[in-house]
Amino acid sequence: MRPDSWNLPLFLHILGATVLFGTVATVAIAGFASRNHAGYEQLLARVAGRTFLFGVIPSFILMRAGAQWIVGKEFPGDAKTPGWIDVGFIVSEPGALLLLITGILIWVSARRGRLMLAVPVLAGIYVVALGVAWVAMSGKP
Amino acid sequence: MNTYQWLLVFHVTGAFLLLGGGAIAAALNLSALGRERPSEILLLYGLIRVAVVAITAGTLLAFVFGLWLVHEAPFNYSYGDGWVIAAFVLLIVANALGGAGGKRDQATVNLARELVASGDAPSPELRARVHDPVSLALSYGSGLVLIAILALMIWKPGA
Repeated sequence: MRPDSWNLPLFLHILGATVLFGTVATVAIAGFASRNHAGYEQLLARVAGRTFLFGVIPSFILMRAGAQWIVGKEFPGDAKTPGWIDVGFIVSEPGALLLLITGILIWVSARRGRLMLAVPVLAGIYVVALGVAWVAMSGKP
Repeated sequence: MNTYQWLLVFHVTGAFLLLGGGAIAAALNLSALGRERPSEILLLYGLIRVAVVAITAGTLLAFVFGLWLVHEAPFNYSYGDGWVIAAFVLLIVANALGGAGGKRDQATVNLARELVASGDAPSPELRARVHDPVSLALSYGSGLVLIAILALMIWKPGA
């Protein structure tokens, strides 16, 4: 059983992570759908752009801030973190770079009026990476 | 990993699909609110089906593995614990609200389909259906109940 003081950061971390999963998946869905729906590319590029701006970025911040908060409580100071936490950091930090590239590509795509194929592909990769992270975080192997 | 850890993985996977599916539905629904052309609304509502699949799979996983976890967890949890009963009731409430909202959305999809077939011109009736406060309250209310379930799972009051 964990101490009560860990509950709020854990709640914010999981809430952020689940919304991040859903919003990144939305970007992937919009991106793949734009390949099959001629005439709606601009609409779907706008959906991806707004979802990224108002969904992906805030939920990433919530997920990451919640993670830092609870790690600080669970492993204070220089305490060594276990492998399952390291998996989370591996997904969140290079993942942030992946999301940054995805965001730039969405912005470029929106100006062109059509989402590049790289957008849903990168978003899909990030969704899979989040899956790896939640398996590691929940199973704690 | 032992049985308890595996059960937790599947339960948490269910939670991710459930809440993530809700986020997908919300993002697409919010996008539809700003559209006028029936074909655009039809496309966005059509994509929400992906969210419905995730929500359905997530509900099943979270429920089945959640019940199993109560039995398997090494913390003396019981099916009679208040937080377990409350989570079960709230899951039913969330599904009832989401299901009722989904039925009203299906009527919106049917109207949009008819309008697409007859020239794809914007319609005040379709606009009113997309912005219907009852449908929105049902769907977003369902999402809020899911967040309440997450809080219940974390705090486990009385455990």
